[in-house]
Amino acid sequence: MSSIQEQMRIRARELLTSGQVQMVIGWEKGSFWYLSPPVFITDPAEVDRLIWDEFCTHNLAKYLLDYKLSEDKIALFVKGCDTRGINRLLQDNQIQRDKVYLIGIKCSGIKDGRQAQVLGEERKGEVPLAYKCSYCTSPAPLVYDELIEGTDDSKVKSENFKGTGRYELVEKIEAMTPDERYAFWTGHYDRCLRCYACRNICPACNCRECIFDRSQSGWCGKQMNRSENLYFAITRAMHVAGRCIECGECERACPVGIPIMALNQKIIKEINDLFGEYEAGVDLEMKPPMVQYNSDDPDEFE
Amino acid sequence: MVDAVSSNPLVPELGKIIKIIQETPDVKTFHITTDKGKPFTPMPGQLAMLSLLDVGEAMFSITSQGPEYLEIAIKKVGTLTEALHEAEEGQTVGIRGPYGNGFPLDMMKGKNLLFIAGGIGLAPVRSLINYCAEHREDYGNMWIIYGSRSPADLCFKEDLTYNWFKVENCRVNVTVDRGDENWNGHEGFVPAYLEELKPSPENCVAVTCGPPIMIKFVLQSLEKLGFKDDQIVTTLEMRMKCGVGKCGRCNIGSHYVCLDGPVFTLEQLKKMPNEY
Amino acid sequence: MLKIKQTEMPQLLNAWAQKSRVFVPQDRGGVSAFLPWDGKGTLTLGKGNTLEPPKDIFFPRTETMYRYQVAEAATTLETMPPQKEQHVLVGIRSCDARSLEIMDDVFLTKGYEDEFYRQKRENTVVIALACNEALPTCFCTAFEIDPGRAEGVDVQMWMTSDSYLVEAITDKGEELLKQTSELLTPVENETLPDAAKPTLKVDVEGITEKLQQMFEHLYWAEVSRKCLGCGACTYLCPTCHCFDIQSENRGSSGFKFRCWDSCMFSEYTRMAGGHNPRPSKKERMRNRFLHKLQYIPERYGKYGCVGCGRCLDRCPVNVDITRVIREIKEVTL
Repeated sequence: MSSIQEQMRIRARELLTSGQVQMVIGWEKGSFWYLSPPVFITDPAEVDRLIWDEFCTHNLAKYLLDYKLSEDKIALFVKGCDTRGINRLLQDNQIQRDKVYLIGIKCSGIKDGRQAQVLGEERKGEVPLAYKCSYCTSPAPLVYDELIEGTDDSKVKSENFKGTGRYELVEKIEAMTPDERYAFWTGHYDRCLRCYACRNICPACNCRECIFDRSQSGWCGKQMNRSENLYFAITRAMHVAGRCIECGECERACPVGIPIMALNQKIIKEINDLFGEYEAGVDLEMKPPMVQYNSDDPDEFE
Repeated sequence: MVDAVSSNPLVPELGKIIKIIQETPDVKTFHITTDKGKPFTPMPGQLAMLSLLDVGEAMFSITSQGPEYLEIAIKKVGTLTEALHEAEEGQTVGIRGPYGNGFPLDMMKGKNLLFIAGGIGLAPVRSLINYCAEHREDYGNMWIIYGSRSPADLCFKEDLTYNWFKVENCRVNVTVDRGDENWNGHEGFVPAYLEELKPSPENCVAVTCGPPIMIKFVLQSLEKLGFKDDQIVTTLEMRMKCGVGKCGRCNIGSHYVCLDGPVFTLEQLKKMPNEY
Repeated sequence: MLKIKQTEMPQLLNAWAQKSRVFVPQDRGGVSAFLPWDGKGTLTLGKGNTLEPPKDIFFPRTETMYRYQVAEAATTLETMPPQKEQHVLVGIRSCDARSLEIMDDVFLTKGYEDEFYRQKRENTVVIALACNEALPTCFCTAFEIDPGRAEGVDVQMWMTSDSYLVEAITDKGEELLKQTSELLTPVENETLPDAAKPTLKVDVEGITEKLQQMFEHLYWAEVSRKCLGCGACTYLCPTCHCFDIQSENRGSSGFKFRCWDSCMFSEYTRMAGGHNPRPSKKERMRNRFLHKLQYIPERYGKYGCVGCGRCLDRCPVNVDITRVIREIKEVTL
């Protein structure tokens, strides 16, 4: 992968030195071998901090919102799933396309960092692919200004692509009795710390002011208890309905391991059943099902 | 009621609003008492945590006190203050305190006192003016310079036009940003008026409170007039919840405004991080 | 010194649970936390450290402070009955023991005692368990904490290959062990297992003094760029103690509660008029690090970080306090 990394650094240096962009957002090596967190480079002398490895999981699209009001042009490294986040932000008019320079990377799948931590470095070879990658439908970037040469998404398509895994947990939960289902979700959301990492990392969550930051509004209380936690869980999921790009970052960011993607994917599944197949962030021109009305939309309440 | 927990500093006492005075279109003064009389006896500049039990709780400066009640002047800015403005005499409230350090009375002793306030900023300063008026022999000359946006926005009109004129060696100057047809007093911003009036820094302590932008320019004006940092006293506002230095949010550096403030000299403020 | 076989630990916990509520590391959906022992849970005692810190026992996530009834005729306020329940907190590590000392400073000193905290603290017997093995994220020794022996606890335990060695430190601890003496065998001349040796090193010498000169430094804008502004670090931190106070109404009655709050949230310092002294993640993240490494040391004479490594372990973007400390030391003023 070193050649990919080398190209990333070369392009970052060129873009910064030429003044085409004022900042490059990519990944750097973190505190441990299984961490490759985001890095923000403004000085061409620092481009060697950029890396590419199997732990570059972070979807960097959300950071563009931090620079919404800035005049600067920003270069961003994007994997396939990350570009769906870019499309989402473009569709919501959250970012301007001409202020972003996208450097695409064809992704061969990212490893599960949490499991890597548990296995230890000696068993590095056994670290499985991140679950979200096993049913990935867009390993190649959908939108970009240039593509890093030599990147290859064939591995994730052939070896690991199962295609059916997407709704595995959703279907398991659907098969439960209502009581079992209640026990499942309360069991998980009783742990919820209400830290909002899931919301903050999500490229679909881009409200200027989130209702969960307005506890006085009376919508959602600040008590960390079952009732408020479940209200938070459902409200967050409903607010990203039709907009979730399945990057899985919410679930990865959750410090207490709540299977948040199962909620998101249940809603995706329902939307697809009701309004036809739709993949958020894939087609820039196609309107999300929840923001448009067709006269032939099913009416469940009739 | 269980004795063990009623000493809890976070639990308020129940009190009643016994009088409401409409000061300006968006400021009212509330007189608050409890069954046992005055909830507590604060020193000038100290704070009270006032609540409508089913709405919320917030920290306010105590603007003055009578023998049986506390006076708190409140501007309508948010949910709680709007609800308080809707309240009528007889309304039950929760009250706890007093909190904070109050004005440095010892340091002010024997000094001439210059009070510079804008808008609702007169509320905390008024507690000190009234205190000094009551202990007139302990202090030198008093000079009050007060301003508001318009004549209608002037708080404590009775003090400004009558009560404080009766105080010995006390001068009162009032200005408004923009007057109306009935206004024949001074027009202009407080800092400019202050520079016009040229109070002497000699043996003087200046106390200023008002909107942040006013304070910023008043401090510059005071500096021009020759006031040193240790001669200037101001009060800070931060969001507060507990009032007793535990809940964390009102810190400026390692100081808690609810406990170590709200009153600071400019000398102290300059040593603290600029984050308020 | 006393001894008990590891396999007999559940019996000892059961015995304590007769009279007290026993909190001991257990698994909850893949996450280890101090949970009440009912004899059925999966013990994680001795397996690394809990993900959730023990502060919840003394300073619950949500706690009712008083109840009220708002009525035309008479508005009433009812305080909560004092907490009489006895607690036994089993298996805290040396880092978390230090965190309790910091919490004590915050809640019990500087003019006001927090009643809610004090009652729970006084009614709890704290039992520490020495660390034999450090996690890659552990750095308690940076703060002169001994992973082999905790400070300020009532009982100290050590884990050997098949047993726990148990030693009472305070009278409160002695009393508890006496209640269950039939389960504990007196032993002499036992060799204590070697204390863990954390591999993550960071030198905090002079950090407070350096930070005192760094409030306006550009470093904060740089280091906060990747921060998501979530509250994971603060909620998992054993010394973070910020709270909010709010009301919950049901018709004419309701209650006032306090709940954990985080300085990483925009609402935390936003004032009624809209002004916010810490408007962006730069100011909020700076406040968090200064709080741990400058403000708490200035106010209470000890560091506000105990090197438990929870924030480092769980931060979704790998904000690493040890790296921040190293970088601060190298920053030119």
